[in-house]
Amino acid sequence: MLRKRCAGPLLLVLLTVTGCQLTQSAFSRTVGNAGAVFSAASTTLSYAHEGKITSAYAQASFVNYQSELDGLDQQLPSQQGAPDKRTVQHLLDLYRPAMQAVIQPCLEESCHWQAQVAALNRASQAFLMAGG
Amino acid sequence: MKKWLSITLGIVTATGGFLDAGTIATSGESGARFGLGLIWACLIATVAIILLVEMMGRFSAISKKTYAEAIRENFGFKFYLLPLLSEVIAESILLAAEIGGIAIALSLMTGISWRILFPPAAFLVFAMAWRAPFDWIENAPALLGLVTLSFIVGIIALGGPSHQLLSTLWKPEVKQGELADYLYLVAATLGATISPYLLYFYSSGAREEHWTSSSLLLNRVTAIVGMSFGSLGSIALIFLGAMVLQPLNMQGSSLGELGLSMAKALGPFGALLFAVALFATCLGAALEVVLGVSYNIAQGFGWEWGEDKKPVEAARFNLVLIIFLLVAVAIGLMGIDPLQLALAGSTVIALFLPISLFPFLVLMNDPQYLRDKTNGRFSNIAIICILLIAFVVAFVSIPLEILSGGG
Repeated sequence: MLRKRCAGPLLLVLLTVTGCQLTQSAFSRTVGNAGAVFSAASTTLSYAHEGKITSAYAQASFVNYQSELDGLDQQLPSQQGAPDKRTVQHLLDLYRPAMQAVIQPCLEESCHWQAQVAALNRASQAFLMAGG
Repeated sequence: MKKWLSITLGIVTATGGFLDAGTIATSGESGARFGLGLIWACLIATVAIILLVEMMGRFSAISKKTYAEAIRENFGFKFYLLPLLSEVIAESILLAAEIGGIAIALSLMTGISWRILFPPAAFLVFAMAWRAPFDWIENAPALLGLVTLSFIVGIIALGGPSHQLLSTLWKPEVKQGELADYLYLVAATLGATISPYLLYFYSSGAREEHWTSSSLLLNRVTAIVGMSFGSLGSIALIFLGAMVLQPLNMQGSSLGELGLSMAKALGPFGALLFAVALFATCLGAALEVVLGVSYNIAQGFGWEWGEDKKPVEAARFNLVLIIFLLVAVAIGLMGIDPLQLALAGSTVIALFLPISLFPFLVLMNDPQYLRDKTNGRFSNIAIICILLIAFVVAFVSIPLEILSGGG
């Protein structure tokens, strides 16, 4: 009888506990995704200059990266599971120059595309690390 | 000679028509995030679709009825509305994703934003669905879709997978906190492959082409060989994602990103092949979805239908086609990324699969329709198990994804 009574709440507790382990916090997920998109942007820019993709392909890809990353600076501080202000500020400091590269990628030889790739890589590594 | 030509064409059509925005999205993301750890889901889904397609062709060839007609006849009109409703909800999301996929493919070729190209892509689907004869719709995008086999060439050009990567086949690397994502992708993989629209389309196609009991060999070979070859494209995309995107910490969260793996393997030509494959598969799937739903509604309501008929001869069938396209365009114009739409649509399909396919299992065991060609016990058990897996996984993973802010 006791077993039957305990089964329901126990199952609920088990599901809640397992549920917590099944998913990441909203903050970890958001920064992890952003890190992956920065990495994709860096690879796209490098491939465009190495001649592996056309500039049309790169341009189309950057439109998608931009829509994936837009508004992240506003979301980040208020997300569930966000760490201390300093860490968030550090990420935001890296986000801005990287986002600049995503909005206006340097697809010509005349501009300094290597600096953009470096900014994207820095942001990617920091965001991926913050995402665990 | 004519018979073998039909069989060859059937295989080619099934091979080229296997992939769509949903399978491309799930395969690419699976490889990028979990290595080869989701190939098992792809294989299960392939077995399921082979069984279902074979059954659907057999049913229509022997009974001379389509699936929707038989549901209404056998279960009544009220019951018929249940699978219809689930179908309309899931497929409208998927159609928006397919049209978005066409727009992105054109965007990758031209550099013009996919949002600008979305309306022309929708118009292309409308024009083909409105005027093209059935065999054009069935064969033209599928023939172009054979480009997906170049994904296998990409894997070879990259030197094949490492031993370490191969070990993820039987030991998937699922990090702490990523199990919900893993389950979500399992559900999406099953839902993307076992799409009911394909079955409504196949069933109606069998009637459009006047299949009889002598078409059973063509049906079986198309289902087994065509679908098996088709799934190779999907598996190849998982390999490419795992070999190229995963080491670079990418997640394959946009379609252009998935093409980078082909660019690494074959340069700009590889990227172009990816864009062409995306265009062909999404165009073929968009036509199948829009026609599949229109067939379903027209047949269930007892209206005139047929792609080879003039619009005026099947006016309500064509009206449904236009309305359904407009609904998908409205969803697409909300600006949601087509890849995310495709993933969401595939998961919703997985959730509705038991509703969509339960009547089918009953009908496949009815000798009034199939005479001596009813289902065996093995086929019934296999399909029930697969549908239940898809349903349970989708039922568990969707709330988890929503709770964690994903999905």
